[in-house]
Amino acid sequence: MSLSIFLITLAFIILLQSAIPFLLKGSIVFGVTIPEQHMKERAISSYKRFYSATILITGFLALIVYFLWAKNRTLSEDQVVFAGLAIQFGILFLCMIMYLYFHAKTTKLKRTHKWGAGLKPVRIADLASHAKDEMLPSYMFALPALITAGLLVYTASQYSQLPAMIPTHWDIDGQPDAFSQKTSFSAISLLLILLVIQGMMFGINVMTKRSGIKLTSAKKKSSQVQQLAFRKYSSWFLFFTTVLITILFGFIQLVIIQGGMGNAAFMAAVPLGFLSIMLIVTAVYAFKVGQGGSRIQVTAEEEETMDTTFVDDDQYWKAGIFYVNKNDPSIFVEKRFGVGWAINFGNPIGYIFLLVSILLILLISFFI
Amino acid sequence: MLIQIETSSDIPIYTQLSNQLIELIARDQLKGGDVLPSVRSLASDLGVNMHTVNKSYHELERKGIIRIVPKSGAVINPSIRDGISQEHRLRIVEELKPIIAEAIVLGMNAEDIQQLASSILSDMKEE
Repeated sequence: MSLSIFLITLAFIILLQSAIPFLLKGSIVFGVTIPEQHMKERAISSYKRFYSATILITGFLALIVYFLWAKNRTLSEDQVVFAGLAIQFGILFLCMIMYLYFHAKTTKLKRTHKWGAGLKPVRIADLASHAKDEMLPSYMFALPALITAGLLVYTASQYSQLPAMIPTHWDIDGQPDAFSQKTSFSAISLLLILLVIQGMMFGINVMTKRSGIKLTSAKKKSSQVQQLAFRKYSSWFLFFTTVLITILFGFIQLVIIQGGMGNAAFMAAVPLGFLSIMLIVTAVYAFKVGQGGSRIQVTAEEEETMDTTFVDDDQYWKAGIFYVNKNDPSIFVEKRFGVGWAINFGNPIGYIFLLVSILLILLISFFI
Repeated sequence: MLIQIETSSDIPIYTQLSNQLIELIARDQLKGGDVLPSVRSLASDLGVNMHTVNKSYHELERKGIIRIVPKSGAVINPSIRDGISQEHRLRIVEELKPIIAEAIVLGMNAEDIQQLASSILSDMKEE
Protein backbone atom coordinates (compact mmCIF):
# COMPACT_ATOMS: atom_id res chain seq x y z
CA MET A 1 0.00 0.00 0.00
CA SER A 2 2.64 2.52 1.03
CA LEU A 3 4.77 1.41 -1.93
CA SER A 4 2.05 2.31 -4.44
CA ILE A 5 1.44 5.67 -2.72
CA PHE A 6 5.14 6.48 -2.93
CA LEU A 7 5.41 5.33 -6.55
CA ILE A 8 2.51 7.59 -7.59
CA THR A 9 3.79 10.60 -5.64
CA LEU A 10 7.36 10.11 -6.90
CA ALA A 11 6.28 9.82 -10.53
CA PHE A 12 4.22 12.97 -10.06
CA ILE A 13 7.10 14.93 -8.51
CA ILE A 14 9.54 13.82 -11.20
CA LEU A 15 7.19 14.74 -14.07
CA LEU A 16 6.23 18.12 -12.62
CA GLN A 17 9.78 19.10 -11.64
CA SER A 18 11.20 18.19 -15.04
CA ALA A 19 8.39 20.09 -16.77
CA ILE A 20 9.00 23.30 -14.81
CA PRO A 21 11.35 25.05 -17.29
CA PHE A 22 8.60 24.72 -19.90
CA LEU A 23 5.87 26.02 -17.63
CA LEU A 24 7.75 29.27 -17.08
CA LYS A 25 7.65 32.57 -18.94
CA GLY A 26 10.33 32.83 -21.59
CA SER A 27 11.44 36.10 -20.03
CA ILE A 28 12.60 34.58 -16.73
CA VAL A 29 15.13 31.80 -17.16
CA PHE A 30 16.30 30.03 -14.00
CA GLY A 31 15.37 33.11 -12.00
CA VAL A 32 17.17 35.57 -14.30
CA THR A 33 15.34 38.24 -16.29
CA ILE A 34 16.07 37.88 -20.01
CA PRO A 35 14.98 40.64 -22.44
CA GLU A 36 12.51 39.55 -25.16
CA GLN A 37 15.15 39.69 -27.90
CA HIS A 38 17.26 36.97 -26.29
CA MET A 39 14.56 34.62 -25.05
CA LYS A 40 15.16 32.11 -27.83
CA GLU A 41 18.98 31.89 -27.60
CA ARG A 42 20.32 28.40 -28.19
CA ALA A 43 22.33 28.30 -24.93
CA ILE A 44 19.19 28.98 -22.92
CA SER A 45 17.13 26.23 -24.52
CA SER A 46 19.98 23.78 -24.03
CA TYR A 47 20.09 24.65 -20.30
CA LYS A 48 16.37 23.98 -20.03
CA ARG A 49 16.60 20.66 -21.89
CA PHE A 50 19.57 19.54 -19.81
CA TYR A 51 17.73 20.37 -16.57
CA SER A 52 14.60 18.47 -17.61
CA ALA A 53 16.43 15.46 -19.02
CA THR A 54 18.66 15.05 -15.95
CA ILE A 55 15.73 15.10 -13.54
CA LEU A 56 13.58 12.86 -15.72
CA ILE A 57 16.30 10.23 -16.23
CA THR A 58 17.73 10.20 -12.68
CA GLY A 59 14.25 10.33 -11.23
CA PHE A 60 12.87 7.38 -13.16
CA LEU A 61 16.06 5.32 -12.61
CA ALA A 62 15.64 5.91 -8.87
CA LEU A 63 11.97 4.99 -9.17
CA ILE A 64 12.73 1.67 -10.91
CA VAL A 65 15.49 0.77 -8.45
CA TYR A 66 13.16 1.60 -5.55
CA PHE A 67 10.37 -0.51 -7.04
CA LEU A 68 12.61 -3.55 -7.68
CA TRP A 69 14.22 -3.25 -4.24
CA ALA A 70 10.86 -3.11 -2.47
CA LYS A 71 9.35 -5.92 -4.58
CA ASN A 72 12.12 -8.48 -4.15
CA ARG A 73 12.63 -8.34 -0.43
CA THR A 74 10.52 -8.76 2.62
CA LEU A 75 10.68 -5.32 4.13
CA SER A 76 8.86 -3.69 6.97
CA GLU A 77 6.43 -0.89 6.18
CA ASP A 78 8.78 1.57 7.92
CA GLN A 79 11.69 0.71 5.64
CA VAL A 80 9.57 1.24 2.53
CA VAL A 81 8.31 4.58 3.86
CA PHE A 82 11.79 5.71 4.88
CA ALA A 83 13.35 4.86 1.51
CA GLY A 84 10.45 6.49 -0.34
CA LEU A 85 10.85 9.71 1.64
CA ALA A 86 14.62 9.65 1.16
CA ILE A 87 14.18 9.39 -2.63
CA GLN A 88 11.63 12.22 -2.60
CA PHE A 89 14.00 14.51 -0.74
CA GLY A 90 16.88 13.37 -2.94
CA ILE A 91 15.03 14.38 -6.09
CA LEU A 92 14.00 17.75 -4.67
CA PHE A 93 17.60 18.31 -3.56
CA LEU A 94 18.84 17.46 -7.06
CA CYS A 95 16.35 19.97 -8.53
CA MET A 96 17.62 22.61 -6.13
CA ILE A 97 21.30 22.01 -7.01
CA MET A 98 20.59 21.98 -10.75
CA TYR A 99 18.55 25.16 -10.40
CA LEU A 100 21.31 27.01 -8.56
CA TYR A 101 23.89 25.80 -11.10
CA PHE A 102 21.88 27.03 -14.08
CA HIS A 103 20.90 30.21 -12.24
CA ALA A 104 24.62 31.02 -11.95
CA LYS A 105 25.27 30.04 -15.58
CA THR A 106 22.40 32.17 -16.93
CA THR A 107 23.47 35.15 -14.79
CA LYS A 108 26.96 34.86 -16.24
CA LEU A 109 25.62 34.53 -19.79
CA LYS A 110 23.53 37.64 -19.38
CA ARG A 111 26.41 39.62 -17.89
CA THR A 112 29.07 38.66 -20.46
CA HIS A 113 26.76 39.35 -23.42
CA LYS A 114 25.37 42.55 -21.78
CA TRP A 115 21.81 41.57 -22.64
CA GLY A 116 19.36 44.40 -22.21
CA ALA A 117 22.09 47.05 -21.87
CA GLY A 118 20.65 49.46 -24.47
CA LEU A 119 17.06 49.10 -23.34
CA LYS A 120 15.06 51.51 -21.22
CA PRO A 121 13.67 49.68 -18.21
CA VAL A 122 10.01 50.62 -17.66
CA ARG A 123 7.29 49.60 -15.25
CA ILE A 124 3.75 49.41 -16.59
CA ALA A 125 0.44 49.50 -14.78
CA ASP A 126 -3.10 49.63 -16.11
CA LEU A 127 -5.40 51.79 -13.96
CA ALA A 128 -8.30 49.51 -14.91
CA SER A 129 -6.54 46.20 -14.03
CA HIS A 130 -8.17 45.70 -10.66
CA ALA A 131 -11.66 46.32 -12.02
CA LYS A 132 -11.13 43.30 -14.31
CA ASP A 133 -9.76 41.09 -11.54
CA GLU A 134 -11.82 37.89 -11.18
CA MET A 135 -10.29 36.35 -8.07
CA LEU A 136 -12.84 34.70 -5.81
CA PRO A 137 -14.24 37.02 -3.14
CA SER A 138 -12.63 36.28 0.21
CA TYR A 139 -15.93 35.55 1.99
CA MET A 140 -16.13 32.38 -0.13
CA PHE A 141 -13.19 31.12 1.94
CA ALA A 142 -15.16 31.74 5.12
CA LEU A 143 -17.98 29.43 3.96
CA PRO A 144 -16.15 26.11 4.64
CA ALA A 145 -15.75 27.33 8.25
CA LEU A 146 -19.54 26.95 8.59
CA ILE A 147 -19.08 23.20 8.07
CA THR A 148 -16.43 23.20 10.81
CA ALA A 149 -18.81 25.09 13.10
CA GLY A 150 -21.55 22.54 12.37
CA LEU A 151 -19.18 19.67 13.16
CA LEU A 152 -18.16 21.38 16.43
CA VAL A 153 -21.80 21.58 17.50
CA TYR A 154 -22.40 17.98 16.44
CA THR A 155 -19.31 16.74 18.33
CA ALA A 156 -20.49 18.61 21.46
CA SER A 157 -23.93 17.01 21.20
CA GLN A 158 -22.39 13.53 20.82
CA TYR A 159 -19.71 14.06 23.46
CA SER A 160 -21.11 11.55 25.95
CA GLN A 161 -21.28 8.88 23.23
CA LEU A 162 -17.58 9.27 22.29
CA PRO A 163 -15.19 6.42 23.20
CA ALA A 164 -12.84 6.94 26.17
CA MET A 165 -9.83 6.84 23.84
CA ILE A 166 -9.86 9.15 20.84
CA PRO A 167 -7.84 8.12 17.76
CA THR A 168 -5.19 10.72 16.86
CA HIS A 169 -3.22 8.92 14.17
CA TRP A 170 -4.06 6.45 11.42
CA ASP A 171 -1.83 3.98 9.58
CA ILE A 172 -1.53 3.87 5.82
CA ASP A 173 -4.52 1.48 5.58
CA GLY A 174 -6.78 3.88 7.46
CA GLN A 175 -6.73 2.01 10.77
CA PRO A 176 -6.18 4.06 13.96
CA ASP A 177 -2.81 3.29 15.57
CA ALA A 178 -2.49 6.01 18.21
CA PHE A 179 -5.02 7.25 20.76
CA SER A 180 -5.33 9.86 23.47
CA GLN A 181 -7.58 10.30 26.52
CA LYS A 182 -11.00 11.77 25.83
CA THR A 183 -11.12 15.42 26.89
CA SER A 184 -13.13 18.27 25.46
CA PHE A 185 -9.89 19.44 23.81
CA SER A 186 -8.83 16.16 22.23
CA ALA A 187 -12.37 15.61 20.92
CA ILE A 188 -12.23 18.77 18.83
CA SER A 189 -8.48 19.26 18.23
CA LEU A 190 -8.82 18.06 14.65
CA LEU A 191 -11.53 20.64 14.02
CA LEU A 192 -9.36 23.35 15.59
CA ILE A 193 -6.54 22.46 13.19
CA LEU A 194 -9.05 22.60 10.34
CA LEU A 195 -10.15 26.06 11.47
CA VAL A 196 -6.54 27.29 11.45
CA ILE A 197 -6.03 25.89 7.93
CA GLN A 198 -9.24 27.56 6.74
CA GLY A 199 -8.12 30.85 8.34
CA MET A 200 -4.75 30.51 6.60
CA MET A 201 -6.38 29.97 3.19
CA PHE A 202 -8.68 32.94 3.80
CA GLY A 203 -5.67 35.12 4.70
CA ILE A 204 -3.70 33.97 1.64
CA ASN A 205 -6.63 34.89 -0.61
CA VAL A 206 -6.99 38.33 1.00
CA MET A 207 -3.26 39.01 0.62
CA THR A 208 -2.86 37.67 -2.92
CA LYS A 209 -5.87 39.72 -3.97
CA ARG A 210 -4.13 42.87 -2.78
CA SER A 211 -0.91 42.08 -4.61
CA GLY A 212 0.08 43.98 -7.72
CA ILE A 213 -0.86 43.14 -11.31
CA LYS A 214 2.47 43.54 -13.08
CA LEU A 215 2.52 43.96 -16.84
CA THR A 216 5.31 43.31 -19.33
CA SER A 217 6.28 46.31 -21.47
CA ALA A 218 6.63 44.42 -24.74
CA LYS A 219 3.41 42.48 -24.24
CA LYS A 220 1.08 44.83 -22.40
CA LYS A 221 -2.23 43.33 -23.46
CA SER A 222 -1.38 39.64 -23.39
CA SER A 223 0.53 39.91 -20.11
CA GLN A 224 -2.55 41.49 -18.54
CA VAL A 225 -4.83 38.72 -19.80
CA GLN A 226 -2.36 36.13 -18.49
CA GLN A 227 -1.93 37.85 -15.12
CA LEU A 228 -5.69 38.04 -14.62
CA ALA A 229 -6.10 34.38 -15.62
CA PHE A 230 -3.31 33.35 -13.26
CA ARG A 231 -4.97 35.21 -10.39
CA LYS A 232 -8.39 33.78 -11.14
CA TYR A 233 -7.24 30.17 -11.47
CA SER A 234 -4.90 30.32 -8.48
CA SER A 235 -7.75 31.53 -6.27
CA TRP A 236 -9.97 28.72 -7.62
CA PHE A 237 -7.19 26.24 -6.92
CA LEU A 238 -6.83 27.58 -3.39
CA PHE A 239 -10.58 27.35 -2.82
CA PHE A 240 -10.75 23.82 -4.18
CA THR A 241 -7.92 22.80 -1.85
CA THR A 242 -9.73 24.36 1.12
CA VAL A 243 -12.95 22.50 0.30
CA LEU A 244 -11.13 19.19 -0.22
CA ILE A 245 -9.25 19.51 3.10
CA THR A 246 -12.53 20.40 4.84
CA ILE A 247 -14.16 17.26 3.41
CA LEU A 248 -11.25 15.05 4.46
CA PHE A 249 -11.06 16.45 8.00
CA GLY A 250 -14.85 16.39 8.32
CA PHE A 251 -14.86 12.75 7.27
CA ILE A 252 -12.17 11.84 9.83
CA GLN A 253 -14.07 13.70 12.56
CA LEU A 254 -17.24 11.75 11.73
CA VAL A 255 -15.21 8.53 11.88
CA ILE A 256 -13.96 9.55 15.35
CA ILE A 257 -17.52 10.18 16.52
CA GLN A 258 -19.09 7.12 14.90
CA GLY A 259 -16.14 4.87 15.69
CA GLY A 260 -15.25 3.81 12.14
CA MET A 261 -17.43 3.23 9.13
CA GLY A 262 -16.93 -0.51 9.42
CA ASN A 263 -15.54 -1.08 5.95
CA ALA A 264 -11.71 -1.24 6.08
CA ALA A 265 -11.29 -0.93 2.29
CA PHE A 266 -13.36 2.26 2.29
CA MET A 267 -11.32 3.72 5.17
CA ALA A 268 -8.13 3.16 3.18
CA ALA A 269 -9.62 4.48 -0.06
CA VAL A 270 -10.59 7.91 1.29
CA PRO A 271 -7.07 9.28 1.98
CA LEU A 272 -5.81 7.70 -1.24
CA GLY A 273 -8.65 9.32 -3.18
CA PHE A 274 -7.84 12.64 -1.51
CA LEU A 275 -4.18 12.31 -2.53
CA SER A 276 -4.96 11.42 -6.15
CA ILE A 277 -7.50 14.21 -6.61
CA MET A 278 -5.03 16.70 -5.12
CA LEU A 279 -2.22 15.52 -7.45
CA ILE A 280 -4.43 15.61 -10.54
CA VAL A 281 -5.81 19.07 -9.77
CA THR A 282 -2.29 20.39 -9.06
CA ALA A 283 -1.03 19.02 -12.38
CA VAL A 284 -3.98 20.43 -14.33
CA TYR A 285 -3.49 23.81 -12.66
CA ALA A 286 0.28 23.89 -13.30
CA PHE A 287 0.05 22.79 -16.94
CA LYS A 288 -2.99 24.86 -17.83
CA VAL A 289 -1.93 28.10 -16.18
CA GLY A 290 1.87 28.07 -16.07
CA GLN A 291 3.97 30.73 -14.35
CA GLY A 292 1.95 33.94 -14.14
CA GLY A 293 -0.48 32.51 -16.71
CA SER A 294 2.26 32.04 -19.33
CA ARG A 295 0.51 28.97 -20.75
CA ILE A 296 -2.77 30.80 -21.31
CA GLN A 297 -3.08 31.41 -25.04
CA VAL A 298 -3.78 35.04 -25.89
CA THR A 299 -4.64 36.36 -29.33
CA ALA A 300 -4.34 40.05 -28.49
CA GLU A 301 -2.45 42.13 -31.02
CA GLU A 302 0.56 43.92 -29.61
CA GLU A 303 2.24 47.11 -30.72
CA GLU A 304 5.91 46.44 -31.21
CA THR A 305 7.95 48.19 -28.54
CA MET A 306 11.49 46.98 -28.80
CA ASP A 307 13.42 49.82 -27.18
CA THR A 308 12.04 49.16 -23.71
CA THR A 309 12.18 46.18 -21.41
CA PHE A 310 10.50 45.51 -18.11
CA VAL A 311 12.42 46.45 -15.01
CA ASP A 312 15.00 43.89 -14.16
CA ASP A 313 14.23 43.15 -10.51
CA ASP A 314 16.82 40.36 -10.26
CA GLN A 315 18.44 42.34 -7.41
CA TYR A 316 15.35 41.70 -5.24
CA TRP A 317 15.43 37.95 -5.89
CA LYS A 318 18.06 36.45 -3.61
CA ALA A 319 19.54 33.40 -5.40
CA GLY A 320 16.59 33.77 -7.75
CA ILE A 321 14.33 32.22 -5.10
CA PHE A 322 13.58 34.60 -2.24
CA TYR A 323 11.91 37.93 -2.99
CA VAL A 324 13.00 40.71 -0.62
CA ASN A 325 11.73 44.16 -1.63
CA LYS A 326 10.81 46.65 1.08
CA ASN A 327 9.43 49.13 -1.47
CA ASP A 328 6.88 46.76 -2.99
CA PRO A 329 3.69 46.78 -0.88
CA SER A 330 2.65 43.38 -2.33
CA ILE A 331 2.81 40.65 0.33
CA PHE A 332 2.69 37.86 -2.24
CA VAL A 333 4.24 38.00 -5.70
CA GLU A 334 4.28 35.60 -8.60
CA LYS A 335 6.77 32.77 -8.11
CA ARG A 336 10.06 33.04 -9.96
CA PHE A 337 10.76 29.37 -10.61
CA GLY A 338 7.52 27.46 -10.54
CA VAL A 339 3.81 28.09 -10.67
CA GLY A 340 2.08 29.95 -7.85
CA TRP A 341 2.83 32.66 -5.33
CA ALA A 342 5.98 33.56 -3.39
CA ILE A 343 6.22 35.63 -0.21
CA ASN A 344 7.78 39.09 -0.19
CA PHE A 345 10.25 38.79 2.69
CA GLY A 346 10.66 42.57 2.62
CA ASN A 347 7.20 42.78 4.17
CA PRO A 348 6.90 40.91 7.50
CA ILE A 349 3.07 40.62 7.47
CA GLY A 350 3.10 37.63 5.09
CA TYR A 351 5.66 35.40 6.74
CA ILE A 352 4.58 36.26 10.29
CA PHE A 353 1.02 35.28 9.33
CA LEU A 354 2.15 31.95 7.89
CA LEU A 355 4.53 31.25 10.81
CA VAL A 356 1.78 31.91 13.36
CA SER A 357 -0.65 29.61 11.51
CA ILE A 358 1.88 26.77 11.31
CA LEU A 359 2.85 27.28 14.96
CA LEU A 360 -0.81 27.06 16.00
CA ILE A 361 -1.27 23.81 14.09
CA LEU A 362 1.89 22.36 15.68
CA LEU A 363 0.79 23.49 19.16
CA ILE A 364 -2.64 21.90 18.81
CA SER A 365 -1.22 18.59 17.54
CA PHE A 366 1.44 18.63 20.26
CA PHE A 367 -1.02 19.05 23.13
CA ILE A 368 -3.53 16.40 22.09
CA MET B 1 -5.27 53.67 -19.39
CA LEU B 2 -1.67 52.60 -19.14
CA ILE B 3 0.91 54.20 -16.89
CA GLN B 4 4.54 53.76 -17.87
CA ILE B 5 7.33 54.61 -15.45
CA GLU B 6 10.96 54.80 -16.53
CA THR B 7 13.09 53.77 -13.58
CA SER B 8 16.40 54.96 -15.01
CA SER B 9 15.10 58.42 -15.94
CA ASP B 10 16.31 61.62 -14.22
CA ILE B 11 12.69 62.68 -13.65
CA PRO B 12 11.54 61.49 -10.22
CA ILE B 13 9.02 58.64 -10.33
CA TYR B 14 6.28 60.63 -8.56
CA THR B 15 6.57 63.40 -11.17
CA GLN B 16 6.42 60.86 -14.00
CA LEU B 17 3.29 59.42 -12.41
CA SER B 18 1.59 62.84 -12.01
CA ASN B 19 2.47 63.79 -15.59
CA GLN B 20 1.03 60.56 -16.96
CA LEU B 21 -2.17 60.89 -14.96
CA ILE B 22 -2.62 64.48 -16.17
CA GLU B 23 -2.00 63.34 -19.74
CA LEU B 24 -4.64 60.61 -19.42
CA ILE B 25 -7.12 63.28 -18.30
CA ALA B 26 -6.07 65.60 -21.14
CA ARG B 27 -6.66 62.75 -23.59
CA ASP B 28 -10.14 62.21 -22.11
CA GLN B 29 -9.30 58.66 -21.04
CA LEU B 30 -9.99 59.77 -17.49
CA LYS B 31 -12.87 62.12 -16.78
CA GLY B 32 -14.09 64.28 -13.93
CA GLY B 33 -15.64 62.10 -11.21
CA ASP B 34 -13.55 58.99 -12.09
CA VAL B 35 -11.89 57.32 -9.12
CA LEU B 36 -8.15 56.62 -9.26
CA PRO B 37 -6.85 53.31 -7.88
CA SER B 38 -5.93 53.28 -4.20
CA VAL B 39 -2.39 54.24 -3.28
CA ARG B 40 -1.65 50.68 -2.19
CA SER B 41 -2.92 48.99 -5.34
CA LEU B 42 -1.21 51.37 -7.77
CA ALA B 43 2.05 51.08 -5.79
CA SER B 44 1.76 47.27 -5.86
CA ASP B 45 1.09 47.21 -9.61
CA LEU B 46 4.10 49.42 -10.31
CA GLY B 47 6.23 47.76 -7.63
CA VAL B 48 7.11 51.15 -6.13
CA ASN B 49 6.95 52.53 -2.62
CA MET B 50 3.52 53.68 -1.41
CA HIS B 51 5.02 57.10 -0.47
CA THR B 52 5.83 57.67 -4.15
CA VAL B 53 2.19 57.24 -5.22
CA ASN B 54 1.00 59.20 -2.19
CA LYS B 55 3.29 62.10 -3.04
CA SER B 56 2.03 62.14 -6.61
CA TYR B 57 -1.62 62.12 -5.52
CA HIS B 58 -0.98 65.01 -3.11
CA GLU B 59 0.74 66.96 -5.86
CA LEU B 60 -2.34 66.48 -8.08
CA GLU B 61 -4.57 67.53 -5.20
CA ARG B 62 -2.55 70.71 -4.70
CA LYS B 63 -2.98 71.50 -8.39
CA GLY B 64 -6.75 71.09 -8.01
CA ILE B 65 -6.89 68.16 -10.45
CA ILE B 66 -8.02 65.50 -7.99
CA ARG B 67 -9.74 65.50 -4.62
CA ILE B 68 -8.80 63.07 -1.90
CA VAL B 69 -12.12 62.09 -0.33
CA PRO B 70 -12.10 59.97 2.84
CA LYS B 71 -13.36 56.43 2.09
CA SER B 72 -13.84 56.85 -1.67
CA GLY B 73 -10.18 57.72 -2.27
CA ALA B 74 -8.69 59.91 -5.02
CA VAL B 75 -11.45 61.28 -7.26
CA ILE B 76 -10.81 63.41 -10.34
CA ASN B 77 -12.24 66.86 -9.71
CA PRO B 78 -15.62 67.11 -11.53
CA SER B 79 -15.04 70.81 -12.16
CA ILE B 80 -11.88 70.35 -14.26
CA ARG B 81 -12.06 72.01 -17.68
CA ASP B 82 -14.76 74.38 -16.43
CA GLY B 83 -12.46 77.32 -17.04
CA ILE B 84 -9.15 78.06 -15.34
CA SER B 85 -8.92 80.11 -12.17
CA GLN B 86 -6.60 83.11 -11.90
CA GLU B 87 -4.39 81.25 -9.45
CA HIS B 88 -3.83 78.21 -11.72
CA ARG B 89 -3.27 80.44 -14.77
CA LEU B 90 -0.49 82.28 -12.95
CA ARG B 91 1.16 78.99 -12.00
CA ILE B 92 1.03 77.69 -15.60
CA VAL B 93 2.61 80.91 -16.87
CA GLU B 94 5.32 80.59 -14.22
CA GLU B 95 6.07 77.02 -15.27
CA LEU B 96 5.87 77.61 -19.03
CA LYS B 97 8.09 80.70 -19.08
CA PRO B 98 11.44 79.00 -18.35
CA ILE B 99 10.70 76.25 -20.87
CA ILE B 100 9.94 78.76 -23.65
CA ALA B 101 13.03 80.73 -22.65
CA GLU B 102 15.13 77.56 -22.85
CA ALA B 103 13.70 76.79 -26.30
CA ILE B 104 14.65 80.29 -27.54
CA VAL B 105 18.13 80.04 -26.05
CA LEU B 106 18.69 76.66 -27.70
CA GLY B 107 17.74 78.13 -31.11
CA MET B 108 14.00 77.70 -31.66
CA ASN B 109 12.19 80.71 -33.14
CA ALA B 110 8.63 81.86 -32.37
CA GLU B 111 7.20 79.91 -35.30
CA ASP B 112 8.93 76.68 -34.24
CA ILE B 113 7.56 77.02 -30.73
CA GLN B 114 4.02 77.71 -31.94
CA GLN B 115 4.20 74.77 -34.33
CA LEU B 116 5.41 72.49 -31.55
CA ALA B 117 2.58 73.64 -29.27
CA SER B 118 -0.08 72.98 -31.89
CA SER B 119 1.32 69.57 -32.80
CA ILE B 120 1.28 68.55 -29.13
CA LEU B 121 -2.29 69.87 -28.86
CA SER B 122 -3.54 67.96 -31.89
CA ASP B 123 -1.81 64.81 -30.65
CA MET B 124 -3.69 65.05 -27.34
CA LYS B 125 -7.03 65.53 -29.11
CA GLU B 126 -6.48 62.66 -31.50
CA GLU B 127 -6.60 59.72 -29.11
